[in-house]
Amino acid sequence: MTAVSDVSKTGEPAANGRVAGDEVLRVRDLHVTFDVRAGRLPAVAGVDLTLRRGEVLALVGESGSGKSALSMALVGLNRGPRTTITGSVEFNGMDLVRASDRELRKVRGNGIAVVFQDALAALNPLHRAGAQVAEMITTHRAVGKDAAWNRAIELFTDVGMADPHRAVRAYPHELSGGMRQRVMIALGLANNPDVLIADEPTTALDVTIQAQVLEVLKELQREHHTSIILITHDLGVVAEVADRIAVMYAGRIVEYGTRDQVLFDPQHPYTRGLLDVVPSLTGPVTGRLSAIPGSAVTGVERPPGCAFAPRCRLAGPECEQPVELRQRGGEQGHLDACTKEDHR
Amino acid sequence: MKRALLRLLAVIPVLLALSTIVFLAMRWIPGSPATSLAAGGNMNATAEEFTQSEERIRVALGLDQPLWKQYLTFLGDLVTLDFGTSFYGSNSVLKLVGEALPATIELTVAAMLIAILIGVVTGVIAAWKKDTVVDGAIRVGATVSFSLPWFALGILGVVVFGVVLGWLPIIGRLPNSLGYHPTTGFVLLDAILQNRPELVWPWVKHLILPATTLALSMAGFITRIVRTAVLEVLGDDFVRTARMKGLSESAVLRHHVLRNAALPIVTVLGLQFGALLGGSLITEMVFAYPGVGNLLVSAVHQRDYPIVQGAALAVAFLFVMVNVVVDLLYLVLDPRLRKVTA
Repeated sequence: MTAVSDVSKTGEPAANGRVAGDEVLRVRDLHVTFDVRAGRLPAVAGVDLTLRRGEVLALVGESGSGKSALSMALVGLNRGPRTTITGSVEFNGMDLVRASDRELRKVRGNGIAVVFQDALAALNPLHRAGAQVAEMITTHRAVGKDAAWNRAIELFTDVGMADPHRAVRAYPHELSGGMRQRVMIALGLANNPDVLIADEPTTALDVTIQAQVLEVLKELQREHHTSIILITHDLGVVAEVADRIAVMYAGRIVEYGTRDQVLFDPQHPYTRGLLDVVPSLTGPVTGRLSAIPGSAVTGVERPPGCAFAPRCRLAGPECEQPVELRQRGGEQGHLDACTKEDHR
Repeated sequence: MKRALLRLLAVIPVLLALSTIVFLAMRWIPGSPATSLAAGGNMNATAEEFTQSEERIRVALGLDQPLWKQYLTFLGDLVTLDFGTSFYGSNSVLKLVGEALPATIELTVAAMLIAILIGVVTGVIAAWKKDTVVDGAIRVGATVSFSLPWFALGILGVVVFGVVLGWLPIIGRLPNSLGYHPTTGFVLLDAILQNRPELVWPWVKHLILPATTLALSMAGFITRIVRTAVLEVLGDDFVRTARMKGLSESAVLRHHVLRNAALPIVTVLGLQFGALLGGSLITEMVFAYPGVGNLLVSAVHQRDYPIVQGAALAVAFLFVMVNVVVDLLYLVLDPRLRKVTA
């Protein structure tokens, strides 16, 4: 468990000019709605979240649970004529939801950076790896091309590239999958961001490479005190690197707590289901892998109450009432969104 | 480099096949150069005299030989780069085609540049403003532009800007009064080499109508290709990465979208160059422009075999070379293609 104080020391400017206190990012009542053919799709339906300096927050959930929509909305990357984003995202004394595109551009890649999942697709095939990192630096820093290029070589060394001087000159297709993902991470870290959003950073990789990439992420995070939002559906990855976990279902956070709280004492039936699904190497062989019955709510119609109720074994009439995320059965700071008193 | 060389060697069989087709086609179409030459010789000749002189000319031109023999002679001359002499007068094919080719290249390149400028700008805007009124207007304009036959457009241009408004010259390439004596045959180059800047503006004025006529029909096509290509790239992940970097939209477009969209566009441009070349041959007729098209058409009428063969070969060579350049351009544009044969 990380030492977390809920007492915020707001108003006291820190040495770097940023608002003091250990909260880096504060998300309040965030909604992301996409206009689709069938109607309005509430991808994120009211999320409150706080990210502390230097912590790794894992956003866990199935495909379509809204974790990517949430993280892209933080930096407005899914802004568009068919997207409505409301609520607030406080960062550096600025509300990123209300920020203009110009203001947002100053934050992107600088204060908040993103590491995308499929590095082959996420890197420009026609630019050298080093140039892509250097571009990120020169966009935000008044440095020359050579300085940016040298910084790229430094970053490539930091992320454990075998031959950084060769790698900066390589095109993405000339690098292996693991190396490309390292380029992506180097890109994310280029301007020492306060927040790094890592969107499934290891999903496209072999297991051994996954471990290496995670190790790199962890190390860099310890060194630079970067806060990381790690989006994943891989609970193994979560157990490995997360400090805190937010479990998302149908656009809402249904459970939130430290890694140990959520993994060892899950409160919400959905989290329990998620954990049960992970096959255990040490447990008894049951012959069948378990699964959560039914499929995730992804359509435009949402029940007013708990979205998980239609798939929940414990669901009762009280589940049709709106439910909020708060302290219930868990330890201090361990929140969940299940009204059932007898679900434990 | 090896790849470029191989590509150039592959041009040879293409040109060989083409010259064979032209050779045969000219001899299969009715009418003989001997007939028209004999007719031009003596207007008062009797039927017998006419036949005799026609026969003499046939022998002199070697047209009495069996077809395979004529063909072998033709091939033999080609190999030694001897393209022959016109049946009318003593000018060599090389000289006549050489004089006409720069004019055609100027027209085609000018048309291509105008078409690319219009097409790329409107295509990018349409993609950027996808599904808006602007996009709709551009798409309609593009469809109209490439549906209109260019000769109709050309005649319209001649009437409006040449005759009614009188703004632009409608025939020729340069006024005779200027006394232009080609060094390279390219006016712009010669204006510099001969230090005659006064040549440039009349040259541009003569080029505007035919080049724009040609360009408009092609611009619409390019608009549609560019729009599709840009839209496709805009959906790519690396564009989102570029935005994540904090780049401005115009920087995203310039540094990331356009170059990636350039590949399919360049392919189409290379192919369209052929169509443009064909179009310029006809446009030259409309504007009495002294290029290969004019030379070719009058040579076909006169059954001047060597000229037709030479001119067709020159146009084909140009087309093939453009496509070689396009192939090489791929290598410049896309590093992923570079390691294939190198």
